[in-house]
Amino acid sequence: MHDAEPSNHSAAPRPGHTSFSRQIGIPLLTLSLAALMAMIFSIAHGSSSIPLQDVIAVFTGQGSDLQRTLILELRLPRTLSAFATGGLLALAGALMQILLRNPLADPYILGISGGAAVGALTAMLAGLGGFLISGSALIGALSATLLVFGLAHGTGSWTPSRLLLTGVVVASGWGAVITLMLALSPPQRLPGMLYWLMGDLSYARTPWPALIILLMVCLVLTPFGRSLNVLARGPLQAAALGVAVKPMEALIYILASLLTAVAVTTAGSVGFVGLIVPHMLRLMLGNDQRLILPACVLAGGTLLTLADTLARTIIAPEQLPVGVLTALLGVPTFLFLLYRSR
Amino acid sequence: MPHLRQLCSAALLLTGLIPFAWADALCVLDDKGRQVCLDQPAQRIAALSPGATELVYAAGAGDQVVAVVAYSDYPPEARQVTSVGSHTRVDMETLIALQPDLVIGWVTGNPVEQTERLEELGLPIFYLEPRTFEDVSTAIERMAHLAGTDTDGLAVAEDFRQGIDTLRQRYQDSSPISVFYQVWKEPLMTVNGDHLIHQVIELCGGENVFADLPRLIPRIDVESVLTANPEAILAGGMGEENKEWLTDWTHYSSLQATQQSNLFFIPPSLIQRPTPRMLAGAQLFCEKLEIARARR
Repeated sequence: MHDAEPSNHSAAPRPGHTSFSRQIGIPLLTLSLAALMAMIFSIAHGSSSIPLQDVIAVFTGQGSDLQRTLILELRLPRTLSAFATGGLLALAGALMQILLRNPLADPYILGISGGAAVGALTAMLAGLGGFLISGSALIGALSATLLVFGLAHGTGSWTPSRLLLTGVVVASGWGAVITLMLALSPPQRLPGMLYWLMGDLSYARTPWPALIILLMVCLVLTPFGRSLNVLARGPLQAAALGVAVKPMEALIYILASLLTAVAVTTAGSVGFVGLIVPHMLRLMLGNDQRLILPACVLAGGTLLTLADTLARTIIAPEQLPVGVLTALLGVPTFLFLLYRSR
Repeated sequence: MPHLRQLCSAALLLTGLIPFAWADALCVLDDKGRQVCLDQPAQRIAALSPGATELVYAAGAGDQVVAVVAYSDYPPEARQVTSVGSHTRVDMETLIALQPDLVIGWVTGNPVEQTERLEELGLPIFYLEPRTFEDVSTAIERMAHLAGTDTDGLAVAEDFRQGIDTLRQRYQDSSPISVFYQVWKEPLMTVNGDHLIHQVIELCGGENVFADLPRLIPRIDVESVLTANPEAILAGGMGEENKEWLTDWTHYSSLQATQQSNLFFIPPSLIQRPTPRMLAGAQLFCEKLEIARARR
């Protein structure tokens, strides 16, 4: 797939070269600024209007009790959760696309979100809430991961195409179970379940696990930038250039699964971010993983932060699931970039 | 029997009231079995379901309501109150900005992750979900106690209780008549024996043909209705309109209900919400069944 994309940047320049640091530094700096702006926008906007100077006052330890509750207890954790979830999904999507060498790969393609959804919906059917929904979503996601990996291993060795096929079939199986659960659940539980399936940050309890995992995975990936670049061009080339392909692929699978599991555990299965953000960035920035992966974290986080701000304000007091907004914002942007790239 | 019931409910009420006599705080049990206590009567009430809104107004505390959710259309003045979203997704920010001192939650209708968040933020939540006629009465009484409007609330609750008892006495010896109650058309839905609407059917001397199904609101097919062959079909509808739901059944001439034209519409807001208006809904329901009996 990557051969089909604009390749003017994909030749990895030598590290330490000034144009290299400029090539990576400027886009990342721009994206960091955008992320910061998005977060400020998100914290400053809500269905109840709080003047900007009052928002600032809250962060300097002043402001009324009510404003402190609204900003510190509601908006801030939700903004951070949205950013972390978006970052996790975009990074997971980029990794899956490298691993499976398939442009249609997204974080959910191997059925991780399906497993998580079955876990979460079971908890909701039982009338449980909060940590128990997140907990059973996490258990579902991890067992889905193990199931696919175990099955793809089979009796022989596993290959990315075998992994993909196994994952897609297992995902369809989860889909059937989800549909069955929806058909059999009491009507008053349905809205909550649908919101979870569409992705909604009301489920986010605390942003910290997501942020910490995101940061850790970024750190783990940092030394592998060049190996990932080579791997993205194909396993044979990678092996010829001295990359240990199998362990590398296993590492990518584990990391991408972990990222996805944490994301769906935080906010349900938010669609679209993981598929489109990596493609969008490749269209704009080329295909150097050392740039694309951190850029995915920033751009994915920014997109979801903006989408969530709109989701909770656009027709307030009615609340939309964020998944609707990510697609509404992302589809035209992506199509525009794709159209212009020809 | 009715006397025994009244005695029982009076006894229940009394034992329930005893703690208030000496406790400083206002305390009641909610429908989740939690003890809800307030230091003083609630002055800023947020009702997170249309049914809860009706119950708060019925309890005489309408003036204290500061927040409602979508479809809170009764009583009419409730439409003027600020909306905080829908019962399935509450706009937390708007809700908290209104600074309620009591939130009326809906046990199975409100999302658990949101009500838990409200509890964490220190808001007292009083969960309601009446499952019997008596639950409706005590819900009004408990609500009135929390809002400091006991006098109004007790009277409304007692009226409802007596109205239901009157219906029970009037129809308890009526000849049984098989009834299918249609909640929704596509998918076709009805109620089983645990539903409050089933209790309305029984109150009027009817027999719910789907009482034994395991789920509270079962999704069924037309075939099972034809097999059950009820003598009367009563249906709600979307909004307060339902022409085509009932005309659909006229195509099945094998149905007793169709042969005897026993196809009746009951405005859903009168029967599908567990509020004092159920009394009017139940009266209408019983009248329709009487018409059906007369056509035998």
